[in-house]
Amino acid sequence: MIDNLDTVEKKDLFASGHRACGGCGQALAARMVADAAGENTIACVATGCLEVFSSPYPDPSWRIPFLHSLFENAAAVAAGVEVAYKALNKGPVNIIAQGGDGSTSDIGFQCMSGMFERGHNVLYVCYDNEAYMNTGVQRSGSTPFGTRTTTTPGGNKRLKKNIPLLAADHGIPYVATATVDDYRDLQRKVKTALSIEGPKYLHILAPCPLGWGHAGDITVQICRLAKQTCIFPVFEIREGKMISVHKVPVKKPVEEYLKLQGRFRNLFKKGTPTADVAAIQKIADGNIERFNL
Amino acid sequence: MSEKLPLGLALDLRNVTPYKTGSWRTQKPLNIMQTPPCTHGCPARNDIRGFLRTLAVSKDYEEAWHILTRTNPLPATCGRVCPHPCEEGCNRRDFDTPLDINSAERSIGDFGIENRLEHKKVITSERKEKVAIVGSGPAGLSCAFHLAKKGYKVKIFEAEGTPGGMMRWGIPAYRLPKNVLGREIESILKLGIELECNIKVGINIPMDQLMREYDAVFLGLGAQKGSSLNIPGDDARNVFSGVEFLKAVHSGRKIDIGREVVVVGGGNTAMDCARVAKRLGGNVSVVYRRTRVEMPAITAEIDEALEERIMFRYNTNPVKIVTDENRVIGILCMQMVLKEADASGRGRPVPIPGSESVIPADTVIIAAGQAVDYEGIDVYKRDNKWIDVNSQRMTSMDRVFAGGDAVLGLETVSAAIGQGMHAAYAIEDFIKNQTQNHLASPPVVYSKDLNTYYYQAANRFNKESVPVHIRLKSFEEIYPSFDRNDIITEAARCLSCGLCFQCNNCLMYCPDNAVKISPSTGMYEFDYDFCKGCGLCARECPCHYIKMTLER
Repeated sequence: MIDNLDTVEKKDLFASGHRACGGCGQALAARMVADAAGENTIACVATGCLEVFSSPYPDPSWRIPFLHSLFENAAAVAAGVEVAYKALNKGPVNIIAQGGDGSTSDIGFQCMSGMFERGHNVLYVCYDNEAYMNTGVQRSGSTPFGTRTTTTPGGNKRLKKNIPLLAADHGIPYVATATVDDYRDLQRKVKTALSIEGPKYLHILAPCPLGWGHAGDITVQICRLAKQTCIFPVFEIREGKMISVHKVPVKKPVEEYLKLQGRFRNLFKKGTPTADVAAIQKIADGNIERFNL
Repeated sequence: MSEKLPLGLALDLRNVTPYKTGSWRTQKPLNIMQTPPCTHGCPARNDIRGFLRTLAVSKDYEEAWHILTRTNPLPATCGRVCPHPCEEGCNRRDFDTPLDINSAERSIGDFGIENRLEHKKVITSERKEKVAIVGSGPAGLSCAFHLAKKGYKVKIFEAEGTPGGMMRWGIPAYRLPKNVLGREIESILKLGIELECNIKVGINIPMDQLMREYDAVFLGLGAQKGSSLNIPGDDARNVFSGVEFLKAVHSGRKIDIGREVVVVGGGNTAMDCARVAKRLGGNVSVVYRRTRVEMPAITAEIDEALEERIMFRYNTNPVKIVTDENRVIGILCMQMVLKEADASGRGRPVPIPGSESVIPADTVIIAAGQAVDYEGIDVYKRDNKWIDVNSQRMTSMDRVFAGGDAVLGLETVSAAIGQGMHAAYAIEDFIKNQTQNHLASPPVVYSKDLNTYYYQAANRFNKESVPVHIRLKSFEEIYPSFDRNDIITEAARCLSCGLCFQCNNCLMYCPDNAVKISPSTGMYEFDYDFCKGCGLCARECPCHYIKMTLER
């Protein structure tokens, strides 16, 4: 029926006692990434929810070395750590720069881009919850079309920035996307990335129950729907070539994904979908065509 | 704290206890083993999930047999004749197709017979109380089995020369080979049960004597008497009642049935009579006054009878048996039409005037109802027909309990086994002067409770029957024995409703890392110091083993 424990990594490197909300997708993703990377890992985390809830002195959740940087420079700090290890002739060690979608797509984009361009041996993990959740749900470059945030009360009019493809266009050896609903796939991608020399990028869809307006128990279900409605394509790019795509044999209409979340409530007038829903369906259809889902 | 701390640190991190986020919780997850629908539907309350998972995980037929025989002493028999109400409930029905539980049961039962497995006693010390069992049918055997396992002295009184009751005299060998039944009864008796045959209680030995000599008596009389239709000509030669006919055939008597055989009735006895008569070379038709939908017989039995080219005449009611020199030559029938439902919930058949016709017949078998033979046993009866028992399964006579067809009306082997088991519990409670509710069980899991995303579709086991033309030549069993590996594959389809099968979802989907593997049992347990009660584990649990409850 389902595989046994051998195929999953559970090392408790991201321990209990952190202050994330119940059902937090980012806490879930951070734990899966840390457990997959293993003990020989240094985490450089940008300012954001993850840093705030997991690292208050004196009881941080991290059981691996942890560096907190500014909002914009997690990638630069990670690059520095990597160079320092090289200079001291130490290692090898896994260096993972982590940040939210705000720090990745807006504030820290140039640091990440520079790190990619200089070719540091660093894995950059972006936990995408599609807005600035830590500061109170403001729109980011990664917020999808139609989303209601505190700065776009009528729904976001801009399209979501496609960071994974931007990262791939830097010519880096490995780019992948994942969601928290498939932990085997996510952990496999972390391990694959860490086995490759050079800059790598992993983009994880991590729902935020508070900001997205859904109950904590459906975090995984939302991710599954994001895949099944083709709103969030899951793929892997190696040396510029698409090597794997999560195929969706039975595609669901985007309404099923949107209706579960409070942030899309403005897309439905008394339960009937508005024209914006059709626009979002078009985006999903575009994904199907582009990624051959 | 004597060690010097690194620069800038005021506290040694190693001495800090983590912040207990469990205090945020309003809901609490609990691991609760729930009742699967198969066990809920089984009259004998077999632990179906238990034996299927044992087969699937450890491929251990012996262990599976012991799990099954905890409740059911006749697995090979039930695996052949049970209409498997368990499969009706199977939650896989809403996913793809239900499991073939019946075939798995038969395969496990056959393994037990082949390897001469022996039943284990629950309590090994002997008890001094004695219990008399009247009748060695499924109810009596089951009651004796469960009492003997608890150390009681049990003696069975059987009116016939061999034990088995209706399983021996009613069910034909092509459904249940007699050696299978014999071997299963043998291993039940090995628990130290005494059996005395050819003793009819009430005639050879009075009820009073049993009640004096024993601490409790169980009546598993069965319904051994065929009822008559009370129509003109039903006393003619070559008119049999269903039970009479089957018993005659099974005890080896030669019966000349002639060419044309008409069976009246739509129950299991009617199907058995028709198929036996077909095997004896008759040209058989079944006459039933309602339609196929209302037939009380097991669906598979009707299907197999149809396959064997037995003619069914629905909406037909016999009015008169036409005789010539006291021999049957035909049966006069009227066509019926179904009107508004009667007390049984089925349409009330009303004759259509002028629709009389005669079906030619050399033999008429009337299998329309059976009754209990109460000779010498004076017990209060419901509707003047079936034994009346109270909630403790005791009859109007003190210390006399009852079960099986004599109480239920015409029912299945598994129902009788269940009755025998519950009567055994009741007798134990009565002897120990205690009250215990053995029926209490956790809530049932229905398919709406499951998260079927995690299951994969798989084809149901397909049992092959012997071709009809070969089947009809003898009384050989119509389903040859199954491949044990196929049964293991089938068992692996079990969804394990309501019981953890260690899929890791709760472990991996907890954002708070609050699900741990217990070092002692290897099962998952919650760390309530840190669980925030988000409910992700319960939502993603495929089998509904985790339940969210309100925090007090």
